[in-house]
Amino acid sequence: MTSIRITALLASVAFASGLTAASAADYKIGLSNGWVGSEWRTQMISEAEDMAEAWSEHGIEVDVVVQSANVDVPGQVAHVRNFINEGVDAIIINPNSPTAFDPVFAQAKARGILVIATDAEVSSQDAMYVGIDHKAYAAGTARWLAETLGGKGSIVAINGVAGHPANEMRVEGYREVFAEYPDLKVVNEVNANWEQAQGQQAMQNILATYPDINGVWVQDGMAAGAWRAIMDANKAEDIAATGEIRKDFLDIWVENGFTSAASVNPPGVMASALNVAVNLLEGKELKEPASAGKYGNAMYLPIPFIDGDNVAEVHAELEGKPGYYSYTSSLSIDETAELFK
Amino acid sequence: MTVGKARSRSMSVRVRQACATFPFLPALVILAVLFILNGMFNANSVSFQGISGLFSTYLGLVFLAVGQTYVIYAGDIDLSAGAILSLVNVVIITLMNRYDGGVLSTLMIMSIGVFVGAACGLFNGLIIAGLRLQAIVASFASSIFFTGVALYVLPVAGMPAPMIYWQTYFGSIFGIPFVFFVLGVLLLLVFLLSRTQAILHLLTVGDDQQAAYQSGLPVTRIRIRGYVVCGVFASFAAFCLTGDTASGDPLVGSAMTLSSVAAAVLGGSMLSGGFGTALGSVFGALTIGLIGSLVYFVGTPASWQNLVQGLAILVALMVGILISRRT
Repeated sequence: MTSIRITALLASVAFASGLTAASAADYKIGLSNGWVGSEWRTQMISEAEDMAEAWSEHGIEVDVVVQSANVDVPGQVAHVRNFINEGVDAIIINPNSPTAFDPVFAQAKARGILVIATDAEVSSQDAMYVGIDHKAYAAGTARWLAETLGGKGSIVAINGVAGHPANEMRVEGYREVFAEYPDLKVVNEVNANWEQAQGQQAMQNILATYPDINGVWVQDGMAAGAWRAIMDANKAEDIAATGEIRKDFLDIWVENGFTSAASVNPPGVMASALNVAVNLLEGKELKEPASAGKYGNAMYLPIPFIDGDNVAEVHAELEGKPGYYSYTSSLSIDETAELFK
Repeated sequence: MTVGKARSRSMSVRVRQACATFPFLPALVILAVLFILNGMFNANSVSFQGISGLFSTYLGLVFLAVGQTYVIYAGDIDLSAGAILSLVNVVIITLMNRYDGGVLSTLMIMSIGVFVGAACGLFNGLIIAGLRLQAIVASFASSIFFTGVALYVLPVAGMPAPMIYWQTYFGSIFGIPFVFFVLGVLLLLVFLLSRTQAILHLLTVGDDQQAAYQSGLPVTRIRIRGYVVCGVFASFAAFCLTGDTASGDPLVGSAMTLSSVAAAVLGGSMLSGGFGTALGSVFGALTIGLIGSLVYFVGTPASWQNLVQGLAILVALMVGILISRRT
């Protein structure tokens, strides 16, 4: 009896594996995402999947396989090893660590697999980075805040996870800008770990300690919480603070006429990276080699900017989208082709 | 019919007896099944190269799980194990970058790493067994403290490991990958430790702390020793992780703590203490790794992978219990 059941199981397993083995794509690209704590990541993957489908109109079949789960660093190293075992042509990864993938990326490259990191830069010289410059991302809103306040007043900064590379780059970005304005005082910097609730609480504490604060530089993922605290304290009209790119935040931003601005780290970065990957797999060469950033392997994408001037327009564009939807942009297939020889 | 029934009953009795003598058996069976399934869906994953890849990826978690097991033996828990791993990782990386990458200095630095791990374990032991703080909360608090120290040592991830270090980890001796030797040493260590009085005492304390105390065992000292052993194993885990990732990252281990607890439980250890095997935890850690890969290889859509992975771990837990307690 048991043996029959086992045989049946084996047969069904063999059948299923036969199904997955059949595919006639030109390129197979593995997408790895190591954290699923926000809708931004989900949107990132689905935009990349849509982009892969769009390639068939250009005569190239791109098959994407996805590994996306909350994993520790070894878990994501395993993602990469699984892709290597499967024999993909390229790997696009939103990495959980900037440095930990050096050896495994080297192994992938040795097997002729193209590796591209997106959203967070990696140190590996066997990979390239396609995404935004987090330093410029922070500098953009910092400049806006400084100018909005006329270059004077007291401000606070609410940051994400201490020690996280993107966070450190952003901190560096706003500090450099604020240092140019001698009358602008950064009275406090706190970490709220990219959580709305912690952002709200941090803002409450800040308002209790510094009731005369003029501006708040807060990263996305916490800005909605911070603004909630500002509204609860009836200070929405007295304070300028950075904001978010999510539809539900843009709703209250427009409704209440906040003095706010947001640099956009679009979830479309992975789709852009996919377009770059397909061109590279086609054997094309970049006009300008990816050599930016502190690791010398980055290709920076433009950073859209939302402030009082265009928020109504952006908001209208997102009409009908769910609240968790982030304002996005990505290199189109044609735009990407322009970047290649 | 009756003969068959009698035979199946005697069979189940035998299975139960085997599981009582070797509590890691269910974990081994689950691991073997997962291994076969992985091979069916992706033949490369069970090739020689695939297996050495599996080991080099998960040896860190294996060591961490074994260390966690010794604490669990005594009915305690160490939620700072991953943070100790991170701290040792950044300490040895920073030191290795300060001194030349020679063999001797690397070994010296690794012994400093062991010392750091042991010191963290001692700290945990003193506040938990000495000051009698609740293990789950106290070790959670110390994990935040250790992470803070790690961030002080290396504020942002990024320092590379010296070439000699990670090339050894990925290298081979006599054609056999280095990681197999590491696993061999670990298994030997686990075997030798299982015969020591110190480990037996941990199990005794976990089984019935009151009785252990009344029979004259130094319960506090035994529990502290358990935490020190765990800290030392966390430093071994850090050595493996540093080999596999070739870099320093002050946040690298934080997400591994709960995996180490899960691995110990999958391996047949009881969180209430007094029962378990470190060998089971080795299997448990590899099981967690193989489940993650299998979920992908069977073609689970991205948005379901977390859910399926969680369910698969639950199923593995249940199967383990069914095998060992079948009546």
